[in-house]
Amino acid sequence: MSKLNPDFILEFSTDEEFNPNACINCGTCSGLCPIGLDALPRKLSRYIVLGLEDKILEEKESYFQCLLCKLCVENCPTQVNISSNVRTARNYINRKIYKI
Amino acid sequence: MSLPINHIIGLLSDNLKLRKSVLPLSKNSITGWAKGLNIPKNGNTVLYTGHMYQLMPSIAFLGKIIGMLENSALNKTLGLGRFFNKIINVSMFITWPSRKMRNLYDKRLRNIAEMLTRSGVEYGYLYGKEMYTGALIYDMGVDDVFIKHAHRVYQLLKDNGVTSVITVDPHTTEMLRDIYPKFIKDYKLEVKSYLEVLNEVDIKLNNIPDKDVVMHDSCIYARGLDVLNQPVKILEKAGVNILDLNDSKKLTQCCGGPIESLFPAKSVEIAKKRVDQLNKNGCKEIVSMCPICLFNLQHAAENTEIQVKDISEYF
Amino acid sequence: MKKDLKQKIGVYICECGGNISDYVDVEKVAKAVENEPGVYLVQTTMFTCSDSAQIEIIEGIKENNLDSMVVASCSPKLHLLTFRDVAKRAGLNQYNYVHANIREQCSWAHSDRTEEATDKAVRLVRAAIAKVRLSESLETIEIEAKNVAAIVGAGVSGLRSAIDLADQGTQVYLIERDHFVGGRTAQWGKLFPTNEDGKELVERLYKQIKERENITVFTGADIQSLDGSVGDFKLGVKISPRHITGACDEETSDQLYKVCPQETDDEFNFGLTKRKAIYKNYKNAYPENPVVDMDLCDKCGECLKVTNSNINLEQEAENITLNVGAILLNTGFDPYEPKDGEFGYKTIDNVITLPQFRRLLDMSNGSLEYNGKSIRDIAYIYCVGSRQPDGENKHCSRYCCTSAIQSALNVKSKYSDVRNFHINRGIRTYGKQETCYVDSTKQGDVYLQFFEKSFPTLEKIGDKTIITLNDALTDNETMEVSADLVVLVTGMVPRKEDTVAGILKVPIGSDKFYNEIHTKLRPVETVIDGIFIAGACQSPKNIRATMASTLSATAKANSLISTGKIELEPIIATIDTNLCEWCGKCDELCSYNAFEKVEIDGKMVAQVNKAICKGCGACAPICEVNAINIIGSSDEEVEVMIDAFVKDVQFIEDHKAKEAEKTVGKTDDTEKLKKALPEIGKKILQSLESEAKSVPEIAADIQHPADDVLYYLMSLRKYGFVKETGEINDDEYYLYELKQ
Ligand SMILES: Cc1cc2nc3c(=O)[nH]c(=O)nc-3n(C[C@H](O)[C@H](O)[C@H](O)COP(=O)(O)OP(=O)(O)OC[C@H]3O[C@@H](n4cnc5c(N)ncnc54)[C@H](O)[C@@H]3O)c2cc1C
Ligand code: SF4
Ligand code: SF4
Ligand code: SF4
Ligand code: SF4
Repeated sequence: MSKLNPDFILEFSTDEEFNPNACINCGTCSGLCPIGLDALPRKLSRYIVLGLEDKILEEKESYFQCLLCKLCVENCPTQVNISSNVRTARNYINRKIYKI
Repeated sequence: MSLPINHIIGLLSDNLKLRKSVLPLSKNSITGWAKGLNIPKNGNTVLYTGHMYQLMPSIAFLGKIIGMLENSALNKTLGLGRFFNKIINVSMFITWPSRKMRNLYDKRLRNIAEMLTRSGVEYGYLYGKEMYTGALIYDMGVDDVFIKHAHRVYQLLKDNGVTSVITVDPHTTEMLRDIYPKFIKDYKLEVKSYLEVLNEVDIKLNNIPDKDVVMHDSCIYARGLDVLNQPVKILEKAGVNILDLNDSKKLTQCCGGPIESLFPAKSVEIAKKRVDQLNKNGCKEIVSMCPICLFNLQHAAENTEIQVKDISEYF
Repeated sequence: MKKDLKQKIGVYICECGGNISDYVDVEKVAKAVENEPGVYLVQTTMFTCSDSAQIEIIEGIKENNLDSMVVASCSPKLHLLTFRDVAKRAGLNQYNYVHANIREQCSWAHSDRTEEATDKAVRLVRAAIAKVRLSESLETIEIEAKNVAAIVGAGVSGLRSAIDLADQGTQVYLIERDHFVGGRTAQWGKLFPTNEDGKELVERLYKQIKERENITVFTGADIQSLDGSVGDFKLGVKISPRHITGACDEETSDQLYKVCPQETDDEFNFGLTKRKAIYKNYKNAYPENPVVDMDLCDKCGECLKVTNSNINLEQEAENITLNVGAILLNTGFDPYEPKDGEFGYKTIDNVITLPQFRRLLDMSNGSLEYNGKSIRDIAYIYCVGSRQPDGENKHCSRYCCTSAIQSALNVKSKYSDVRNFHINRGIRTYGKQETCYVDSTKQGDVYLQFFEKSFPTLEKIGDKTIITLNDALTDNETMEVSADLVVLVTGMVPRKEDTVAGILKVPIGSDKFYNEIHTKLRPVETVIDGIFIAGACQSPKNIRATMASTLSATAKANSLISTGKIELEPIIATIDTNLCEWCGKCDELCSYNAFEKVEIDGKMVAQVNKAICKGCGACAPICEVNAINIIGSSDEEVEVMIDAFVKDVQFIEDHKAKEAEKTVGKTDDTEKLKKALPEIGKKILQSLESEAKSVPEIAADIQHPADDVLYYLMSLRKYGFVKETGEINDDEYYLYELKQ
């Protein structure tokens, strides 16, 4: 059971490009991603949109596995800035969890 | 056991903050490549190496060390390392890769510089003043450190009257062309990759390959910066036959390099997959155009008959 | 035989540019029918429908003085009217032409059996010839039509229809059951996709109505009865009075609302507010005067004391009859009303429907509150009352995804700290409406999705309602959304209180909305001539779609009645009054009510209303004394057709004999064919050599996609290389083997 936390995303949205909301969950990105992780990148965006902080903590390493290669971005039908969103998430994790 | 990501990022970003580079190297190893080329010390247009070719052997080497740590109890000591690193430059204690390897990377820079000169392009070089752009720290999402550093780099360029730069790798190009302007007000700098520059002038290759080659496009060049056809044209004009590949151009696949320092094992796995893809039609010579791709693919192709070359090796 | 038989028949056999002649040997067909009785001339043509061929046929008919014609070509649905026109232009009566369909019924249906296809074509053409021999000259039935239309329902659909018909010179009666016009559109406030105000839209239309003298508006008007038929309907209407006999200005109205003590839920606001017995739907509702609701009024007389109120509580209802040529139904829809407890409706106090939310939003000012509590988090649950897996509403209501999302946009632009959660079953903001969806994701709305196998559940905890669902977009993980207000995105259903359908006998579809003749080809006509449907009474529609159907119904009605006369097909039922004894069975059976009981020479007999009968023929077999005949399909005509059809066709026998002779040549042919096979065909044959296989097995064996294999396998089957074994394998696929 996870509780939606709509306030959470406000802590993220520093960047104008940050648009995980535009995702229509088609799965293209996850299918293409060379990393081949179940969570990368679709679910990672989803956790942010829904504010599932526990999940983000659980998956924090996955956020750092992204190559920022933008293969997903190139093929996303709704122009989600996936790799830039991942970078924004890293920033959050650095600040809040790693305290860097 | 996985690596303590926090400590690695911490170490690298501390370095950038304190020592202006993720892996502070001696001045000599940064500028050594330019010895004897007589490149002017300044000019409106400069060749900006961003240290990528020079750093690559060391970063890669670091990657190897970290890779060894990945599955050992030793990786706990990284936390300690980070603490000491703030006081003394821990990087100094790492045994550096062989001189031979460094020479190889330096040679590629020399080739690029000489080709530009031969083709009548005028440019200077900032030598020891030049700084790393902070690409890795930006990618890791340590924004505050990165932003400060970016301002430092831009100030350096302004102080030296630089209005236009020629870059030699995709990461530096992306930083200076697309990322810096997002953080620096009134940013003005013309940024061109040497591939774009050379594509506009007449050039002659000295080492034309004797077999068919296949191109490994850089993700950042292809999808982010629209450097797609220039390298192809440069080779084709010299009569090189480039084999077609589905996973190329805008759909090129990553070499795995960007996660080298955090997930070395995964990085190699991806590189091996990419080499297999590039080798799909049996081609034995892969052309890359980014020092990270070069290193990673070479590493993956070790002990095979496949050769990975930097495009500058044909110059 | 009572008729003069046709003596000079022209028969035209079409090749359809190979569509027919590749499979049906048209020359053989021509040969086989040339000696049929009455046939004077037989021709084959490449494209009979082409202009040049038409001219040739016309000239031929004139030159040879032919008296009738048969065309054997495609389906009469396509070209019956084309060739009727050819007949007319050639000086024939158009009913002295009979059509045979040898494309859809022969060449296309039997492309794998060309000989039999040819045989069947011969028989069909012979039957057509036999029929045309008996054909008579008929005249179309012409009836007078009143250029007057009744439009039932004055929502946006009815209002627009009235304006357009009036502008084309038709006298219009606009009949509205409510006391105010505009229908539902006025209730929604800002409308998607343009954010225009619904009330303003209604006002604009009503003003145009008022400018036209040939429109009469009746409000409080209920249809009571219908008589007559197309061109000449008689519509009985009961008009309830307003009880306010003169002008009643705003000030007076306000006073009346104040003094009236009787109060009830305001239907216009879906019970969110109260209204008095004297009321208007909303301030600028039209017509301008308020109305007194006599069901609520207890005649206390308070209102009579207000000066200048012009109230007359004793005013009586009026019954009138309208004589009109056509009727347009634009009676709209009802929003779905959830059952008590359905997603917490009426059991949890902060659960409301989308229509209620639209009203709440339209009326809210300064702060968004419901039940005195301010609202920040709004959850929308989609498809309530639509797409029901178990309930009776299977349809998608089409408007609601967009409307819910537009509500989320509206509410956020009015109250920026509101947060929207869309709990949907797949968003259907089709066409231009997609921009609403994109805008909503940009403003940060969150979308969660559930499947019909697990609906969300609701529970009230403190001030909040907690919605629990398995989010399909996050691997069906169980998710909790906490909301201050839950909006049930209810769909559109047919009008609950539908009095007209029964009286007008409009057909109702399986979805309970009014039914058109043909969804694609005749979307605004009903099976009853002269009665049209448009707008949301036909199926869920947004305003744009409502207008499109409205304008097409309007155009259809106009072309029907504007010339003052209507032409009808003469192919209808006839009664032999000598035989008829009036048993009434035909009357019971006819779906169109075409029969009337009349007295002829002192005897009660059935009579057919020519304007109503469709010539469907259902009545003919029911008549025990055989008094009913369908023109053009009399017993005699059907019998001669059957005779002609079953007659031997000689050339088939010839052909079979010839086939038998050259068996050797046949194997040669197969060998040749085999060589010409594409690579994949050869591979399939090879693969089947060892054992019988199913399509997936062959595909796996020869490494080709299964759909390709299926396609080529069927060709191989057609050419006799393979056949099915008649067995299935463990995966329940058919097995195929080589045919020796
Ligand atoms: C919550 C909600 C929001 C919507 N928002 C939008 C929107 O933003 N944009 C959009 O394009 N569409 C919207 N729609 C759809 C829109 O309401 C319909 O498309 C439109 O109302 C259809 O018009 P109509 O004239 O066919 O029917 P109605 O508006 O239902 O009008 C029918 C009229 O016929 C009258 N009537 C019914 N029966 C009889 C009878 N027996 N005799 C005489 N008169 C009768 C009724 O009183 C009524 O006046 C919305 C629908 C809903 C439920
Ligand atoms: S490709 Fe784009 S839209 Fe599709 S799942 Fe990935 S981010 Fe979402
Ligand atoms: S950018 Fe990251 S998430 Fe996207 S395909 Fe590359 S590695 Fe995967
Ligand atoms: S008579 Fe009827 S309408 Fe008039 S005030 Fe009394 S209740 Fe109201
Ligand atoms: S339009 Fe959307 S909410 Fe309405 S029934 Fe269809 S899918 Fe459901």
